Amino acid sequence: MDITTSIDVVASEPAAPALVARVANLTKSYGSHGARIDALRDVTVGIRRGEFTAVMGPSGSGKSTLMHIMAGLDSPTEGRVWLGDTEIGGLGDEQLTLLRRRRVGFVFQSFNLVPTLDVEGNLLLPFELDGRTPSPREREWIDELETVLGLDPRLSHRPHELSGGQQQRVAIARALVTRPELVFADEPTGNLDSRTGREVLQVLQSATRGYGQSIAMVTHDPIAASYADRVIFLADGRVVEDRPRMEASEIAAFMLAMEQAA
Amino acid sequence: MSGAGPASGVREHGSSILVALLSSAFGVALLQITGVLDDAIRADPITGRSTTVGIMLTVIAWVFIAIAIYVGSIVTANTFATIVAGRARSIALLRLIGSSARRQRRAVAREGLVVGLIGAVAGAAVGTGLAVALERLAVWADWLPEVAHDWADPGLAAPILAVVATTWLAAWVGSRRVLTVTPLQAIGGSQPLSLEEARSRPARNAIAITLFAVGTATLVLSMLLGLVTPFAVLIGVVGGILSFTGVVLGAHLIMPPALRLVGRMLGRSPSARLAAANALRYPERSSRTTIGVVIGVTLVTMFGVTVASFRLLIEAAQAEQPEVYEGTGAMLDGVTAVFSVLIGVSALIAAVGLVNALSLSVLQRTRELGLLRALGFSRAQLRRMILAESVQLTATAVLVGLVLGTFYGWAGAQSLLGSASGMPGIVAPGVPWTILAIVVVSAAVLTVAATITPARRATRVSPITALAVE
Repeated sequence: MDITTSIDVVASEPAAPALVARVANLTKSYGSHGARIDALRDVTVGIRRGEFTAVMGPSGSGKSTLMHIMAGLDSPTEGRVWLGDTEIGGLGDEQLTLLRRRRVGFVFQSFNLVPTLDVEGNLLLPFELDGRTPSPREREWIDELETVLGLDPRLSHRPHELSGGQQQRVAIARALVTRPELVFADEPTGNLDSRTGREVLQVLQSATRGYGQSIAMVTHDPIAASYADRVIFLADGRVVEDRPRMEASEIAAFMLAMEQAA
Repeated sequence: MSGAGPASGVREHGSSILVALLSSAFGVALLQITGVLDDAIRADPITGRSTTVGIMLTVIAWVFIAIAIYVGSIVTANTFATIVAGRARSIALLRLIGSSARRQRRAVAREGLVVGLIGAVAGAAVGTGLAVALERLAVWADWLPEVAHDWADPGLAAPILAVVATTWLAAWVGSRRVLTVTPLQAIGGSQPLSLEEARSRPARNAIAITLFAVGTATLVLSMLLGLVTPFAVLIGVVGGILSFTGVVLGAHLIMPPALRLVGRMLGRSPSARLAAANALRYPERSSRTTIGVVIGVTLVTMFGVTVASFRLLIEAAQAEQPEVYEGTGAMLDGVTAVFSVLIGVSALIAAVGLVNALSLSVLQRTRELGLLRALGFSRAQLRRMILAESVQLTATAVLVGLVLGTFYGWAGAQSLLGSASGMPGIVAPGVPWTILAIVVVSAAVLTVAATITPARRATRVSPITALAVE
C-alpha cells in the first residue's frame, strides 16, 4: 500500500510499470537566500497507472506545486521527476511543450477552453498543434467521447455559450482525446455547484474505470477526493498520508485532525 | 481612480500621450512653418501685397491638421475602450463598494484630459522646436530670407486646444462601456469579462451606407462630367468626401469581412487559425484599430495615383512639346512628396494605435496564452500566432487603403483631366511606384514592429498562469 517507501530505494532505476508518474526527493523553493519558501520538501511519491488519485491538502500545502512539476509545467529545485520512463526534471522548454502536448492532459478549475474556438475546435486543438489530423481510430475515439459526455448537440458552440458544467465536460474530453498517459485535474469542480460537480467527478471516475485512464486530481474538497481510488495528503510541503479509497466523512475528519495538529 | 499605480498608468496611457503629442506637434509645427512662409512672402516687395497665399497656406495646413487630429481621436477612443475592457473587474469592485458608474466614467474621462494636456503641451514644444530648426536650416541654406517671426502667435493655441479637447472627448467616448459594468462582475464567474458585445446600429449603418452610395454615385457623375470640363473635379471632391466618410462610419461593416478574407489567406495552421479568430474576436475594436491606417493609406495612395495619372498625360504632351513642360516633373515630385509627408503623419499616428492595440490585447490575454502553453503550444507557435495577427491587421488595412485610394485617385484624375487633351478621353490610372513601395515597406516594418513587445511578453507567460484562480 505504501508506495513511497518502495520508491525511495529504486529512485535511479527505470520506473516500475505500475507507476505512470513519480517524483523522488523533490524540493521546490521560491524566493532567494533571504526569503526562501519551501513549497515542497523532499517529497517522494508515485502515481499508479490506471488509477484515479486525489492529492489533498489545505491551501499552501504544496499540492498544486507538486502537480505542476509532475505535469512539466514547472521545474524542480532539487530532486528528480519522471513521467513514465522519461525523466522530465531536466528537460528544456521545447521538450516539455511536446510532452504536455502528447503525453499529458489537463483539466483546470476554470478557463480551460480557448474562447475563440468552438467545442469541436477545442477538442481537435491537441492534434492540430502537432500539425496532423486525427487518424480514423482517433476520430472514432473523439466521436465516442463526444457521445459519452453528451457534447454532440454542442459541437459548434463557443465556450461562452456553455454552462460551467458543460465547459468542464469539454475540458475533460479534450484532456482525453490524445489518450495521454496521465490527466492532471486541478480543482476541476472548484467553480461548479455541487450537483454539477458530482457529475464531473463521475465522468472522471468512469474514465478511469471504463478506459483505464490514469488521473491525478488536486483538490481540497473531501467530497471530490472521495471519488478517487487513492488519496494522498500533503501538508507543509510533505506527504503526510497515503490511503486507498476513503469516504468523504473520513477525509474531512482527517483534514480537520491535520488542521488541529498544525 | 485609475485602479492602477503610476507605473501601469504610464504603460496604459503612454501611447495615448504619444498620439496627442504627435498630433499637437504636427499641428504646431505646420502652423509655425506656414507662418514663417507667410512672413517671408509679406516681406517680399512684389508678393507682399497679397494675403491670399497666406490664407491658402493656412487652410491647407488645417486640412492636414484636422485629418491628423481626427485619426488621433479614433486611436485614443479605441485605446481607452480597450483599457476600460481590461479594467472591468476593478471597476466592478469599485461599483461593488458603492461608486456610481457615472463617477467611474468621469474618472476615466479625466484621465483622458490629463493625457491630452500632457501630450498637447509637450507636442507644442516639440513642434515649435522642429519649426525653428527647419527655419534656421532654410535661412542658413539661403532658401528663405531672414525675417522676423512671432514664434508665440496666439493662433497656435488652436491646435493645442483642439488636441486637448479631442483627447478628452475620445476618452469619454471610449469609456462608454464603463456604464455596462455591474457590481456583480467583481464576484466573478469563470468567463473572462467582455465589454464588447456586437451591437446592431441600424441608424449608423443606414447613414454610412447612404453616404457611401450617394458619394460614390456623385463621384461617378463627376468622372462622366470630367469628359467635358475640368471643373467636374469640384463635384468629385464632394463625392469623395461623402463616400469616404461613409467608409469610415461604416468601418464595422467593411473591415471584419476584409479581415476574415485576409485571415483565411494566412493558412490553416493552429497559430494562423487562432490569430484569425483573435483579430475578429472584437470586430468593432479591430475595425477601429485598422481604420486609421486605412485612412492614411487611402489618402497617400489617392494623391499618388492622381499625380501619377497626371504625369502620364504630361509625359504624352511633353513628347510633343518638350519646352512647354520643362520642370513640371520636378514640381509634381515636390508636391507629391510634401502631401505624402503631411498625410504620412496621420498614418504614423494610426500606426502607433495599431501597435498599442496589439500590445494591449496580448496583455489582456495572459491567462489564455498560459492555457495555450499548457496545452502544448510552443513558444515559436505563440510567436507565429502574434505575427499572424499583426500581419492580418496591417495587411488588411493596407489592402483596403490601396483599393480605395486607387479608386478615389483615379476618379479624381478622370474628373480633372478627362477633357484635358481637348476631347473627351479616359485617363489611364497611373501607378505611383515610389509611393506604393514606401507604403508596402512601411507596412512590413509596422507589422514586425507591432509584434516585438507582445511576442516577448507572450513567450514569457508561464503555463501555470492558466491555472491561477482569478
